[in-house]
Amino acid sequence: MRTALADVIAGALLLAVTAYSTAGGVDFGAGIWDLLAGRKERGRRARELIDHAMAPVWEVNNVWLVLAIVVCWTGFPSLFQAAFSSLYPLYTLALLGLILRGAFFAFRHVAGGQSERRLADLVFGVSSVLTPFFFAASLGAIASGHLEPWGPMPVAFGLVSLAATAFSGASFLVGDARRHAPELVDYFRRRALAAALALVVLGTLALVVIAAERPQLLVAMFTTAALPFVLAAMVFTPLAAGLLWRRVFKLYRLLTVAAVGSLVIAWGVAQSPYLLPGRLTIEQAAAPGATEVLLIVVAAGVALVIGPAIGLLLYLDQRSLLRSPEA
Amino acid sequence: MTWLAAEALLPSRIQMAFTLGYHILLVPLGVALPTLTLLMEGIGLVRKDPVALKLARRWSVVMAVQFAVGAVTGTILSFEFGILWPKMLGRFGAAFGLGFAIEGWAFFLEAVFIGIYLYGWSRLPPRLHFLCGLVLPPAGLLGAFGVLAANSWMNTPGGVSVSPTGVLDVDVWGALFTRALGYEFWHFLLAIYITCSFAVASVYAVAWLRGRRDHYQRLGFGVPFAVGAMLAPWQVLVGDLSARALVFHQPAKFAAMEINWTTRDHNPEVIGGLLDAGGHVNLGISLPALDSILVGYSPNAVAPGLSSFAENARPNILEANLTHLSFDLMVGLGSAGAVLALWYFAVLIRHRRLPESFWFYRLAALAGLGSYVSVEAGWMTTEVGRQPWIVYGAMRVADAVTDAPAAYVWTMLGVLVVVYALIAFFFVRVLLGLAARWRRDDGAAVEQGVPYGPPR
Repeated sequence: MRTALADVIAGALLLAVTAYSTAGGVDFGAGIWDLLAGRKERGRRARELIDHAMAPVWEVNNVWLVLAIVVCWTGFPSLFQAAFSSLYPLYTLALLGLILRGAFFAFRHVAGGQSERRLADLVFGVSSVLTPFFFAASLGAIASGHLEPWGPMPVAFGLVSLAATAFSGASFLVGDARRHAPELVDYFRRRALAAALALVVLGTLALVVIAAERPQLLVAMFTTAALPFVLAAMVFTPLAAGLLWRRVFKLYRLLTVAAVGSLVIAWGVAQSPYLLPGRLTIEQAAAPGATEVLLIVVAAGVALVIGPAIGLLLYLDQRSLLRSPEA
Repeated sequence: MTWLAAEALLPSRIQMAFTLGYHILLVPLGVALPTLTLLMEGIGLVRKDPVALKLARRWSVVMAVQFAVGAVTGTILSFEFGILWPKMLGRFGAAFGLGFAIEGWAFFLEAVFIGIYLYGWSRLPPRLHFLCGLVLPPAGLLGAFGVLAANSWMNTPGGVSVSPTGVLDVDVWGALFTRALGYEFWHFLLAIYITCSFAVASVYAVAWLRGRRDHYQRLGFGVPFAVGAMLAPWQVLVGDLSARALVFHQPAKFAAMEINWTTRDHNPEVIGGLLDAGGHVNLGISLPALDSILVGYSPNAVAPGLSSFAENARPNILEANLTHLSFDLMVGLGSAGAVLALWYFAVLIRHRRLPESFWFYRLAALAGLGSYVSVEAGWMTTEVGRQPWIVYGAMRVADAVTDAPAAYVWTMLGVLVVVYALIAFFFVRVLLGLAARWRRDDGAAVEQGVPYGPPR
C-alpha cells in the first residue's frame, strides 16, 4: 500500500515534468526561433506570430514546473535535498533564464524605442535557450547516477532538449501560421524539419553517451516498460516530420507532443524504481503516508479541475476568441 | 557568532530576504485586484455603465502585467528553497510542503482564468466573461491560504513527529492548520485587500489633486477606497489579537517586537527606541506598564522579555531592534489608515458624498504607498522576529543553509539584484506608459466630443 502510493506520486511527478517539457517546450521552442529570426521584415512578422501564439498560454504552461517542484519537495524531500545540494549551479542558470524570459516577454509588448525593443527580444530569446538546456542537464546529471553538474550526460540531455523544444515550437507555429499568417507556414515548416533532423542526430548521439556513461540505463530503456516509449519517440519524430514534409497538415502537432513526451517518459520509466540511480529508490525517498494522500488529492484536483480548465483555455484560443485587450 | 557558522549563511539570508521582500510587493495586487476589477465590471454590467467597464478593462491589464512578474518571482522563491535551504526541505518538506501543494493547484487555476479573463474582453459574451473572472478571487484566496499555512508552520510547527534524519509521520490537518494560521491568515488577507484598495484608489486621488473631477475619476477612486475603508478598522482589531496570541505562541518574537529585556509585570510600552547589548532601552517614548496592560488588561500582567531565552534561541540585539522598529512602523501606518477610513465615513454619513478636502486626497494619495510600507514592515516583524529559527524551536537557519561556497551565493545574489532592478525598472515604465496612453486616449475622446464610448 505504502509503495503503491509513492509510485502513484512518482508517476504524477513524471507526468508533471512531461507536461512541462511538452507544453512549456512549445513556448521555449518559439523563443529559440524568436532569437534566430533576425532583424529583417520577415523576422519581425515571425516574432509577431510568436507573440500572438504564446501570449494567452505561456503562464499556464509554466505552472507545470511549479507543480513538479512542489510535488518533488513534499513527496520526496530527500530527493529534492540531494538534487539541489549538488546541482544548484544548473538550477540557478535555468532559473535565471526563467525569470528573464517571463519578465521580458511581458515587457517587450510595451517597450518604447527600437533599441529597447531589440534588447527585450534578445533577452527573451537567450533566456529561452538557457532554461530548457539547464533543466534537462539536471535530469541528465540525475540519470548519470553521480549528480555531477558538469559532464557528458548533462550536456547530452541539454542538447536533446534544445532540439526537442525547437521542434515542438516550430511545429506548433506552423499551425498558428496557418490560422493567422499563411505566408509564414513554409518558414516554420522548414524550421520544424531542420529541428526534427537535429533531434534525430542529437538523440542518437545521446544514446551513445548513455551507453558510455550509464550502460544500465540504456539496457533498461530497451528491455523494460520503457521500450514502447523509446520506440514511440523513434517513430513519431520522423512521422511528424514526414507529414510536415508532405504538407499534410493533420496530426503533426499531436505526433510532435507524443514524440517529445515519450522521450521524457522513456527516461523516467527506465530509471524506476530509482529516483537517484543506484542511491535512492521511490520507496526510500517517499514522504509519510498522510502527506502522500494529500498529494494524490491535489493531483486528482489537477486532473479533474485544471485539466478541463486548460481545455477551455485552449479551445477558446484555437477558436480565436482570445484577443489582446490592448489591441 | 552563530550566524557566521556557515559561510554561505549571510548571503543566503540576504538573498532570501531580498527576493521575498520583493515578491511580497506583488502579492496585494496579485490576490486582491481581481476582486476589485470584477466589482467594477459588475457595476458596469448592472448599470450599463461603459466608464466602469473601461476602468475594469484597464485594471485587468495592470493585473496581467503584475501577475506575470509575480508568477516569475514566485517561481524563483520555490527554487531558492532548494538552492539555499536544502536541509530544511529535506527534513521537513513532507509537512512544510503541504501548503505549497495546495498553492500550486490554486496558482494553476489562477493562471488559466487570468488568461481567459484578460484575453476574453472583446470576443466573449459579457456575462460569460464575468463568470470566468469569478474563479479568480477564490483561487487567489486559496493560494494565499497555502502560502500562509506554510509560513505559519514555520512559526508554530505542528502535525509532525521527527527523527534526526527526517519526518517520521505527518498529520495533514495538524500541519496545515497550525496555531499561527488563525491570525496570520486573516491579518495578511486584510492587509493585502486594504493595500490593493488604497493603492488603486491613490492613483485616482492623484488625478483628483490634478483637477480631474469626472465620472471616471469618481468611480476609480470611490469603489476601491470604499472597500479599503471598510476593511482598515478591522485590521486594528485583528492585529491586536495577533500580537496578543504571540505572547503565548512565540514569546521571544513578542519580546523582540516590544524590546522587552526582562520578563516581568508593569512592563512599559516603548514606542521607537533601541535596545543596547546591556538590555537598556535608549531613546524612544516609554509608556509605563502599558505593555502589561495590552497583554493582560492589567498592569500586573507579565510580559515576556528577551533575557528569559537562551542567547542561541532568541533574536540578537540587531534583529530585535529591527523587529521592534518594523512592528512600530506597521502599527503606526495601520492606525493611520484606520483614521483615514473613519474620516471618509464621517463625511459620507454627514454629507452623503465623497470628501472634498485637499488634505483628505493628499493623505489618500499617500495611503497606497503607506500600505505597501506597512506590508513590508509586518513581514519583517514576523520573519526577523523568528530568528535564529527557520522552524521555530526545531531548526535553526544556520543548520538549514546550503553547503555551496559563500562566493557562489554572493555571486547569485549580485546577479539577482541586477536582474530584479532591471525588472523593477521595466515594470514601472510599463505602468507609467499605460497610464500615459490611457490619459491620451481619454483626452482625445473628450476633444472629439465622444463621451467615453465602450472600449473596442
